[in-house]
Amino acid sequence: MTDTLERFQQAIVEGDADESTALAQAIVEEGRATPDDICEQLSRAMDTVGGRYETGEYFIPEMLRSADAVERAMAVLEPYLFQQEHDQSGIVVMGTVKGDIHNIGKNIIISALKAAGYQVHDLGVNVSTDKFINAVRETGADLLLLSAFTTSTKPALLDILARLEEEGLRSDIKVISGGASHSEKFAEEVGVDGFATDVKSTLAVCRRMMEA
Amino acid sequence: MAVLEGETPDTVPIVPVIDGYFAPRVIGRANDECYMDGGCLADALMASRERFGYDGVLAEMGLGPDPSVLGCPVEIEGNDVPLVVETLIGGRDDLERIPVPDPWADGKMEPVTRLVSEAGDGYVVLGSVRSPFEYAATVRGLMEFMTDFYRDPGFVHDLVAATRPATLAVGRALIEAGIDALVIKDSFASSSMISPDHYSEFAFPSEAEVIAELGAEVPVILHICRNSLPILPQMARTGAAVLELDGPVDLKAAREAIGPGIVIKGNIDAVAVIEKGGVEDVEAAVRAAMDVEKAGRRFILSTGDSIPLPAPEENVAALVESGRRYGRY
Ligand code: B12
Repeated sequence: MTDTLERFQQAIVEGDADESTALAQAIVEEGRATPDDICEQLSRAMDTVGGRYETGEYFIPEMLRSADAVERAMAVLEPYLFQQEHDQSGIVVMGTVKGDIHNIGKNIIISALKAAGYQVHDLGVNVSTDKFINAVRETGADLLLLSAFTTSTKPALLDILARLEEEGLRSDIKVISGGASHSEKFAEEVGVDGFATDVKSTLAVCRRMMEA
Repeated sequence: MAVLEGETPDTVPIVPVIDGYFAPRVIGRANDECYMDGGCLADALMASRERFGYDGVLAEMGLGPDPSVLGCPVEIEGNDVPLVVETLIGGRDDLERIPVPDPWADGKMEPVTRLVSEAGDGYVVLGSVRSPFEYAATVRGLMEFMTDFYRDPGFVHDLVAATRPATLAVGRALIEAGIDALVIKDSFASSSMISPDHYSEFAFPSEAEVIAELGAEVPVILHICRNSLPILPQMARTGAAVLELDGPVDLKAAREAIGPGIVIKGNIDAVAVIEKGGVEDVEAAVRAAMDVEKAGRRFILSTGDSIPLPAPEENVAALVESGRRYGRY
């Protein structure tokens, strides 16, 4: 790992947004770290943040401070991380489900999808079933991506699938879920069409679903 | 009432936190109906007290007392908890948009005045208001508010100062309506959410200020959700007569932290024990609490927070029954 990357991770853990943005700039200028390296550092940093929260060293404002540091750095990193290939087409609706407000992972996935060429409609966090259904109908989406981090979001996921079925929309759309607490088993139980754990696998699943 | 006036009663007073979340089902009404209709809310709160026979009712204001008092749109559907759907404050320029509410407008006070006028000698009536810190978080949006702690701490101070008149106005109206004691809720000041340092910096000063003013009229009960153990010594210095502790707080450690004089109200876990537990769990929890607090007699038996709608009625009944059984001094 490069020294800049190491310091970048540190800046996120400490929630220093000025520093994380400056280091993001340096990473781009050095051009040595691969997008995968950067994403991994980012996740590792947030894992450390989560660990400090669990041990009582950090509280919610400290986690939000780190989330802010990621968000600001991402603005610099986005064009570098996800080469603008635009070789994919497809309409995507994405949001974090009702009861859940985690958005860092969702935002990263959205940046990656846009760079790949998808037309993405970001519904935000704590999104109700109604809002998802309306967006799917209005945009004629090919893919519905549901971010759901906490295990307690299972009823929300089930509700969305049931409503798609009820409204006669289910057969026209592929539903993909993901998030921190997701496992393949969880996704199977819920009954989505696909599931992924990181940027790479998400892009691969989306491509596969579009081709199917 | 005796315990609030510094005397020692013969038996522990029992005042669970039963509000517009649980009470409407006692009269077979939906929460959104009672939320919009003060008469319904008053009926529900009275009926619940009659059904279970506890010693104090929490007289909530109607029409979504708190957020909507400050002009934030609130939505409630069926039996859901009211949700603030829009926040008022996008930035510093919006500070002057925070209104000083008129609690007497729109019949909001109806449940309170009715409960006060219909209450006999048998039980007390508590009113409830949010702290300036909690109002500030509500008008700003909780996540933005907590992000401001580091991004712009001066703004946090200004926001809390700007919402203080709201707490005072609602508090004064409740006192004028004749409540016996006032609960000041500061849910987000919890050590389950923010550090003790941030509590000292942003929440404590405004708690102490409003308690100095409102506490001169009626005893104040300071409620902080979830874990408050690390900040209890400070809470004890706010001037509150009673500290309302939630389920996660160890009573023995709490008593050691604040000393023998101050009254504790708590702390049977409303979710883990009352909603999810069985009658035996309720009994065991009440007995454990009384084991710690019986000798000191500065205790009000209560849930640590609002009893949720799905809680079985047997468990609420068991709370009161075991309180009577184990709470005899
Ligand atoms: C930061 C954080 C928060 C912040 C969120 C700020 C924000 N703006 O997002 C705050 C403080 C608000 C928060 C709150 C809570 N949190 Co939190 N939080 C975290 C933390 C530390 C980091 C999450 C993160 O951003 N990771 C970095 C990103 C890049 O990774 P990611 O989210 O996993 O996303 C990647 C993949 O999952 C995937 N992906 C993401 N979404 C999707 C969607 C699709 C469709 C696909 C295909 C892929 C995909 O791609 C991303 C890029 O690689 C994690 C712990 C951790 N180590 O993950 C806990 C964690 C997610 N939180 C958790 C919990 C429990 C909570 C709270 C309930 C805590 C509480 N006591 O209040 C609340 C819940 C509030 C709510 N209603 O949602 C749990 C969830 C546990 C579970 N099994 O369900 C975790 C795992 C912590 C833990 N170990 O217990 N949290």
